[in-house]
Amino acid sequence: MSYNKIQISHGNGGKETQQLLQRLFFSRLPLELKRVKGGVGIDYPDDGAVLQNNLVVATDSHTVNPYFFPGGDIGYLAVSGTLNDVIMMGAKPIAMLDSIVVSEGFPIDDLEKITGSMIELLKKYNIPLVGGDFKVIEETAMKNSIIINTVGLGVVETGSPIVDAIKPGDKIIVTGPVGVHGAVIAAMQYNISTNLKSDVRPLFELLEVFSKFKGYVHAARDPTRGGLAATLNEWAQLTGNVIVIEEAKVPVLEDVKAITEVTGLDPLNLASEGVGVLAVDSNVEDDVLETLKSLGFEPASIGYVVEPKSEKGIVVAKTAVGGAKILEMPTGDIVPRIC
Amino acid sequence: MKAYRILISGIVQGVGFRPFIYRIAVKSNVYGYVKNLGGSEVEVKIIGREENISKFFSLLFSKIPPPAKIEKILIEEENIQDIHEFKILPSGNVVNEPSQIPPDLSICDDCLREILNPKDRRYKYPFNSCAYCGPRYSMLYKIPYDRENTAMRDFPLCDKCKAEYEDPENERRFDAQGISCPICGPKVFLSTIDGEIIQDKDPIATAAKLIEEGYILAIKGIGGFHIAANPFDDDVVIKLRERKNRPQQPFALMALSVDVIKKYAEVSQLEEELLKSLERPIVLLKKKEYSEISKYVSPYLDREGFFLYYTGLHYLLLDNLKEKISIMTSGNKHALPMCTDEECVKTKLKGVVDYVLYHNRKIVNRVDDSVIRISAGRIMFLRRSRGYAPTWIRIKKKLRKVAVAVGAELQNVGAVAFDDKVILTQYIGDTDELNTLEDLEKYIKFFLNTYHLTPQVIIADKNPAYQSTRLASKLSEEYSAELVQVQHHLAHGLSAMAEYGLQEAVGIIIDGIGYGDDGNGWGGEVINIKDHGEKYSREYHLKYVPYTGGDINSLKPDRMLALFLSTFMDWNEIRNYVKLNDMELKVLEYQTRKNRLFTSSTGRFLDSVSALLDICHYRTYEGEPAIKLEAFARNGKLLDFEFPIINNEIDTTSAFKWIIENGIQDKPSIAYTIQYKLGKALVQAALKLNPEKIVVSGGASVNEYILKGMIENSEGVEILTQSKVPPGDGGIALGQVYYISEEK
Ligand SMILES: [Fe+3]
Ligand SMILES: [Mg+2]
Ligand SMILES: [Zn+2]
Ligand SMILES: [Zn+2]
Repeated sequence: MSYNKIQISHGNGGKETQQLLQRLFFSRLPLELKRVKGGVGIDYPDDGAVLQNNLVVATDSHTVNPYFFPGGDIGYLAVSGTLNDVIMMGAKPIAMLDSIVVSEGFPIDDLEKITGSMIELLKKYNIPLVGGDFKVIEETAMKNSIIINTVGLGVVETGSPIVDAIKPGDKIIVTGPVGVHGAVIAAMQYNISTNLKSDVRPLFELLEVFSKFKGYVHAARDPTRGGLAATLNEWAQLTGNVIVIEEAKVPVLEDVKAITEVTGLDPLNLASEGVGVLAVDSNVEDDVLETLKSLGFEPASIGYVVEPKSEKGIVVAKTAVGGAKILEMPTGDIVPRIC
Repeated sequence: MKAYRILISGIVQGVGFRPFIYRIAVKSNVYGYVKNLGGSEVEVKIIGREENISKFFSLLFSKIPPPAKIEKILIEEENIQDIHEFKILPSGNVVNEPSQIPPDLSICDDCLREILNPKDRRYKYPFNSCAYCGPRYSMLYKIPYDRENTAMRDFPLCDKCKAEYEDPENERRFDAQGISCPICGPKVFLSTIDGEIIQDKDPIATAAKLIEEGYILAIKGIGGFHIAANPFDDDVVIKLRERKNRPQQPFALMALSVDVIKKYAEVSQLEEELLKSLERPIVLLKKKEYSEISKYVSPYLDREGFFLYYTGLHYLLLDNLKEKISIMTSGNKHALPMCTDEECVKTKLKGVVDYVLYHNRKIVNRVDDSVIRISAGRIMFLRRSRGYAPTWIRIKKKLRKVAVAVGAELQNVGAVAFDDKVILTQYIGDTDELNTLEDLEKYIKFFLNTYHLTPQVIIADKNPAYQSTRLASKLSEEYSAELVQVQHHLAHGLSAMAEYGLQEAVGIIIDGIGYGDDGNGWGGEVINIKDHGEKYSREYHLKYVPYTGGDINSLKPDRMLALFLSTFMDWNEIRNYVKLNDMELKVLEYQTRKNRLFTSSTGRFLDSVSALLDICHYRTYEGEPAIKLEAFARNGKLLDFEFPIINNEIDTTSAFKWIIENGIQDKPSIAYTIQYKLGKALVQAALKLNPEKIVVSGGASVNEYILKGMIENSEGVEILTQSKVPPGDGGIALGQVYYISEEK
């Protein structure tokens, strides 16, 4: 369906977002204004941009309902999310900027808790907050809500940034169980009780992996909005290669499954906020897994990259019974397929 | 003396047609010749005395070989020529109409007699065949149907077979492409699932023994592997269900004779004819009240699927069984295509079967068994495949463009069409599965190549979530062909109209869920169709109810029931009528508040009634809750209830109110009444449009009682149902093609 007004699905990080941004920006900006000369910009969808001299910059707006949730709050989310975007480019974060929009009537106590969470993380990882902005919006425009935008700057200390480019033969590794954050938020929205906590956290340890396996990590992402399905589809589309994953190997917590089974959501479409997905050279697969374990992760190798046969740029999920299905880019509407 | 030139087209090649003409010409004392024109036409010239010529014609029409089909015949008087013999002339190559790919046929009685005769050189030969019988399409690499274009090319004829092949007096073997004998033909082997060959004089008899002992066997047939097991032993059937991961879906039973089948099921004359036909479909028959067949073969159903042997191998196997009947279900794992080679069996059926009975003839094309049932006296295809596909279906219009239709998604069938011919593929399967989707592409391309066609238009469903729609856009790029999308239920209606050659009709489409023009899930529609679907309007539909959560509602009928009840009940009360836990109820309540998607599905309505009556709470195969509801209504009576039609909606929710108000006592009668009256309401809505013809299609139109409700309340307007292709999604491709048909 095509719309002339913004739908909630336009923000799903999947097909609709892609199409809308194509219309709003990608199709209208000349190439030279899509990136800094010699760098990587919005001409190439990745977590962040690369400026000259291995300087990486990333930005993200965070909005979540509810803004306090088990395992964290929007403050943690805003700092972690952007730090992770910098980290997933292979860069060490060096500074952050923030910009907060909050509605008239928003409890200041809550705001204090939220900024407290931000400060806690900045302190822990020693990241200076070098600038920011603060705005209040009328209650009629946005009720009891908060939006936090953050900008992260980072430097690639040795080697070059990880600009996602999967190659046939690569192995796909996730650093932990997927979809936990998304499941927690869904549970809260549906008023389902759960023992789950959001997995939100910065993934600084991954910098060790990236420097140890320099040149062997061909792509790295944190599968936030749109989940693993969106990340893998973007990778496949970028190169035209085909990603094959084995459904049974993708780690999903039982509590997450319980939520997805009753809601009809797919764990592969749910956001993670403390998980990385890596595409690595097959020669280092085992070593990467070992290193990740030694850093306290619970990684799993879930699939591999092959050259396209008849269809380019798709993600194939092998099912437990030995079949295969196309794992689609998430879309906003759940359209029934069973006749 | 008179002379005639006769031009015959249809299925006239590869079925012993020319030798047949030769024989009847000689018998009736006429001279002339018979000649394959190339393509699907045969030219005959006859010269003779008038009484001899009329004898020739009466033999032609009365004694035509069983697999041959005359679609068109042209007779012209010609000048008498000075010919004094009758000859079979070498084939020409004037192709007016391409040669049709012949379908697979069951072994004929003559071939069977030979393998049962200890004195015959083909005694006990499992692959016996002749001009009138045997596999065709399943072993065909390309046309024309010559031996070197089939899997029989691996088996050169021995001297004896060659002599038969070259002898025009040999009625059944002259020029018969698939013939063989124990000397030159394929061989049978029995092995364990791990590939260990069991050395044996009579592997077929040993396989039968293993079945009796409770083992589960994979059996190589002509279009794929079957799985055979003892149908009388509950433990065996349960074991098979567990191993196949198929908890409820019925298994078919293959028997040696109709008499054997009659021990377990009621067989009408029409059903007997279908069972014995050369196409040998599985026929769903009413179970006898007391049957020794394990109740786990078709759990909670009042029908059971039976078919007769269709190869020598099947016959010999069944003949070695005490009760002359075995489970013969398709050799696959749940939702995957049936295996066609030993490698697939070894990998995919390990853990399912214990032994494998196979042979060394390759299966070129996967062809599943066809399935038919009779509802309200009408033939209904559930699956049109072996025996029928890929025979083309002629429509009343000429297509200007070569078309490819990709069908829908589940239980899918595609089509290639040109001129006035629509070639539906055999049953492909669920194309949300990637390997199956590739099969759809493979067979579409097989037909394009075989008939030397380049598609100019590709037709798909409107559902953006169908993988077949993705395939369609790929094909349209590949061939630079126009891409056309047809609404699902319009395609169902058009499929029925194509069968009857109608340009306009009122369609009652009762179905699961299809993507509607308004983005909602349609499935209980009364559509006024004009100009082959170029103009259509949806006039009535089942009441819209919220549809939230996607395909799990199809799997769990109680969710759908809750959604129906939510239109008139609050959520605290709903919990008393549905088998859902608090968590699910909360989620549904939340989701309905934000819901934007609605459905008018007939299937989901029937599913929900099935759940409310405590008949089925989980769907393990397509249509299960609705099929069980139908089975439940077998001895029901008609109660006092009518569906109100409010504005343009048939108020399905009233059924739940009625059931709940009156209490659930006589379940069969409630089930019967709901189905019958739904049919009545739909036909009443359709009648408001003053239709000349009403066509009925969609997966639910095989429902006996809905159909009865329509037929008995149609006020004399003819109710046309589909008998050539499935009214379910296996017939969608025909409707898609009919949509683009043009008279020009
Ligand atoms: Fe349908
Ligand atoms: Mg990256
Ligand atoms: Zn025969
Ligand atoms: Zn021979």
